[in-house]
Amino acid sequence: MSVLPEGYEALEPFVATYAVDNAGRRAEMRGEAPSEVRDAFYAAAQPLLAPALDYLDTKQFADYDSGDKQLMWMMLSLAHVAIAVEIQQEDEERHAHLRSFMPVTRAPADF
Amino acid sequence: MNTHAPVFESVAKEDVAWLGTDPIPATAYYDPAYFELEREAVFRRGWIQMGHVCELPEPGSFIRRELEVLKASILILRSQDEEIRAFHNVCTHRGTQLVEEAAGKQSRFTCPYHSWTFGDDGSLLSAPDFEQFNVAKEDCGLSKVHVEVVAGLIFVHLGTPESGMRESMGPLADRMDELPIARATTISEYVYEIDANWKLTYDNFQENYHLRFIHPSTAGQGCGGDNPFGYPEEYGFQGPHRTQTIWTNPETGIPSAVQGVSYMKIGEALAKRDLMIPGAEKNYFALFPSFFLFGNPGTHFSHVVYPISANKSRGVIRLYWVGDDENASERYAREYGMAMTRDIHVEDRSVIERGQRGLESGALKHIHLQTNEALLRHFFNEVDGRVQAYKAELEAQGAL
Ligand code: FES
Ligand SMILES: [Fe+2]
Repeated sequence: MSVLPEGYEALEPFVATYAVDNAGRRAEMRGEAPSEVRDAFYAAAQPLLAPALDYLDTKQFADYDSGDKQLMWMMLSLAHVAIAVEIQQEDEERHAHLRSFMPVTRAPADF
Repeated sequence: MNTHAPVFESVAKEDVAWLGTDPIPATAYYDPAYFELEREAVFRRGWIQMGHVCELPEPGSFIRRELEVLKASILILRSQDEEIRAFHNVCTHRGTQLVEEAAGKQSRFTCPYHSWTFGDDGSLLSAPDFEQFNVAKEDCGLSKVHVEVVAGLIFVHLGTPESGMRESMGPLADRMDELPIARATTISEYVYEIDANWKLTYDNFQENYHLRFIHPSTAGQGCGGDNPFGYPEEYGFQGPHRTQTIWTNPETGIPSAVQGVSYMKIGEALAKRDLMIPGAEKNYFALFPSFFLFGNPGTHFSHVVYPISANKSRGVIRLYWVGDDENASERYAREYGMAMTRDIHVEDRSVIERGQRGLESGALKHIHLQTNEALLRHFFNEVDGRVQAYKAELEAQGAL
């Protein structure tokens, strides 16, 4: 049974890992999931980022259904994951250790 | 290739020679006795940034903040008459810390111990069986702390200010007023603790000499072409405060897929709110003693280093946003901006601790600073000037 909006079925396998409702947890999940899962999520989500935001922008946050919320959280997770894949690359593992000393404590998306 | 790119000209040795050229003493970065002097000379006599007005959105809003270096807990509030006030978070009966919550909304504060109750002007409103005391209620108000707001930032002063914060900032205050921070309504935040002296920690963030070595993939774009170290275009000095004009590499590479969409979303979100402030991205402010602000509206962060002991500090980094997230794109742009900034900041922490361990061995008597570490030297001069003056005061009083 699909929970995500139509057209985003490719992200279903990643809902449990990356549809996270808190910025601090999303930042942590970037480093916690195995690198194969992270890379697979990036590959599936990257082409969907622009269309997903266009779709979500047609709605007010208050009108999001549960699928919209999951999609939003996954795109926010992609912000973190993409930095690992695109920028840090082979440094990501070492970098994850450094990041663990600087937790995210607050973000506007959490309110 | 941009053939019109202006040639980068580094700040010259002679331009900063007035700050001095001798090596500086290493002990200031780890000696507990020096730190004890700094507590009073620098922190009790300085304005310390402790919050932002958007954390006190309405009458009754309050925040509690710890200032370890002065062993103080501060209660900052917006009163019913819309004034921002600050008090020691200390009940005037027998000293119990009044407020435990980090933030909240209330206009009366009741001490848990014997139920003394204070109003938002600090006055003692009621105290059970007060007739048994030999003091008047008027003399039992909360101990006031000086507070000043500049560009939306809340500064407190736990001593007797010689000048206001805005006054000490000169033209920097007006420049900061122009930035989104002055209108910010919401914040992203990440924090850290570090086993390092507050000055050594702060110094890391006021030189670019380390960029290409410590941030090869994140801040690497800031280095290159005719400026391989990514040095700033200019340094500015304003009383105890400092600025840099950041150089931006005209030869930026092609962004990766998500990075490209993210930069576009950041740009669009700013443009919609009219926050594309020309030149803002080049501004980096260092306000004495331990505050930074980066002007770039897309990653508009402040960074404060709060000392805990001679070799322990904590940092608070906050990004400022104007307006609640309007839609998914703006929410996404802010999350990406925070994640990107944090990726750079996290790379510095462990190398700073490594520096602290080296210095604490006592192996070095002095630290050598180059032209492009001029801000570190200015900072040290400002701190040490205060420490030496305070020491002389104590000696004159026969206290040392
Ligand atoms: S210490 Fe606060 S009421 Fe006694
Ligand atoms: Fe750095």
